[in-house]
Amino acid sequence: MTTDALDDHRPSRSAPTRGFGRKFGVHAVMVVLSFVSIFPIYWMIVTSLRPENETFSTALWPSHPTFDNYLFVLTRVPMLQMLFNTTLVSAATALLQVVTGMFAAYALVRWRMRLSSVVHGLIALSWLVPFQVTMIPNYVLASRIGLLDTLTGLVVPNAAHAFAILLLYHAMRAFPTEVLEAARMDGARSFRILWQIVTPNMGAPIASLSIIAFISAWNEYFWPLLLSRKPENSVVQIGLQMFMTQEGNLWGPLMAAAALASLPILLIYLVLQRHVIESFMKSGIR
Amino acid sequence: MTDIQAEVAGPALTKKAAERSKMTREGFTISPWLYLAPALILLMIWTYIPLAETFRLSFYQWNMLPTSPQRFVGLLNYQRLLALPEMRNALWNTLCYTIGLFPMSVIIPLFVAIWTQDLGGRARTIYRSMIFVPMIIAPVVAAVLWRWLLNEDQGLVTLALDSLGLGRVGFLTDPLYALPTLTWITGWKLIGFSTLLFSAANAGINPSYIEAARIDGASRWRIICDIRLPLLSPTILLLSMMTVLFGAQWSFAYINVLTNGGPLKSTTNIFYLLWEYGFQTLSAGWSSAAGMIAFAGFAVLAAMCMWLTKRFAFYDN
Repeated sequence: MTTDALDDHRPSRSAPTRGFGRKFGVHAVMVVLSFVSIFPIYWMIVTSLRPENETFSTALWPSHPTFDNYLFVLTRVPMLQMLFNTTLVSAATALLQVVTGMFAAYALVRWRMRLSSVVHGLIALSWLVPFQVTMIPNYVLASRIGLLDTLTGLVVPNAAHAFAILLLYHAMRAFPTEVLEAARMDGARSFRILWQIVTPNMGAPIASLSIIAFISAWNEYFWPLLLSRKPENSVVQIGLQMFMTQEGNLWGPLMAAAALASLPILLIYLVLQRHVIESFMKSGIR
Repeated sequence: MTDIQAEVAGPALTKKAAERSKMTREGFTISPWLYLAPALILLMIWTYIPLAETFRLSFYQWNMLPTSPQRFVGLLNYQRLLALPEMRNALWNTLCYTIGLFPMSVIIPLFVAIWTQDLGGRARTIYRSMIFVPMIIAPVVAAVLWRWLLNEDQGLVTLALDSLGLGRVGFLTDPLYALPTLTWITGWKLIGFSTLLFSAANAGINPSYIEAARIDGASRWRIICDIRLPLLSPTILLLSMMTVLFGAQWSFAYINVLTNGGPLKSTTNIFYLLWEYGFQTLSAGWSSAAGMIAFAGFAVLAAMCMWLTKRFAFYDN
């Protein structure tokens, strides 16, 4: 299945001209769905901009928008440090998933091994193991090798992911074998083939994977919850949760904290909207 | 896309794929293993060895302190767990979450997609980019947002219900409503995404089938039942499978942030129970045993889903 069909703006040939009523109904359904999707986020931003004495107002836009709530959050929780940490962790995770994924996918595409299907199955099945089932041994291991309360500890367990490998494997399988063969005849070493011939042609899937891996890592919550101790070594999701437990009913600042935690992702979405949607659609739920 | 997820469904489907791909036959070489090493070693260290370790721990009693001894207790953990009403309650709630999620992850999106299929041009693009947004919002942020909207004193939804004369509802504090509320938040993140997935699949249907059916005088409803639904079956099965296998895991974040399993354990599902045993009561044995039960259960479900997909998914080749 591709998403091309989605972007096909021609009205489908099979659609006869329909009445105004139906057309209105269609738009009504979509408007309701869009409203439900977007309003909570709009409300978060509006609440975060209200001055303290207006927090409970139901006006759709604050009469005197202010950034006081944001300043309050920044004085209570080291949010900037956390934003920096999260960016670092997410970028590193995405990069490592691309690298380990490219290597593994290349091995599976380029060589036929007797154990290929076993390896393949092992990779795919790892996706089905819930995090909560392996968390205790993982936690014990992380604490034993000194990864507790470090950013490295947040990245390493996610440095390879079944999803990344399979996505790249499928993209790479479409790569013409003749080219690889020709390069091999010319005596190119396997690493050079991967680096100079395969990788430059894998731009789109690598971009998709990076987007998904970055967003997933940004939104990751449980592993940091187990691993982090000090706020300044933690990520925004934990910061937000800490803020909620401490100042749970200061709705203005809480919404400001939530907005800060999702701002970078929303910005990425604003800029790369089409790519983000397509990446997710092509590769399914993560 | 369907390809990737079919692979995830299990290795049974992968054999065919391996045969199909054109590769050169070689004797044993070390190179592929060098390329596979980083990924395989990481998966071993962080997934498979821990899985085996959880299995081992499920026969032991241990309070997770490195200094305290692990005591072998055989099947005692399992026996105790299965006799606990807590466990039964958690399994029941897990089922409730999964079933409650279906309308939002499969049924409504399916019908919205079919109903809105003629939508074209700019409007489609705008709706598309709006309904996708919840998908990329972090679970913790989603939890906080809905906590504010549903707040019992000043939340917007509460105020709206109040002004309609429906009274105030303790969305997160009333045992009757807490689980449906968490299910709703879980579904909120999925509904737009599922709709887009169905729209794409629906738009991909070859129009000549519909044309032919219409010439034969089939009604709109018959066309949906006899042509669209069968051709959408791979997507329906895929999203159903995702809901069954991952639904309970997706709700975990909201349970942890919003209710801690309460009120009166009404929102505790199996994954939250694992968490509670593991990191709140520090009984690694119980948590591991519950984890193995959950894992085995979901593995059986996954196998069943795969079988269903093979049996019923209809591909238009």
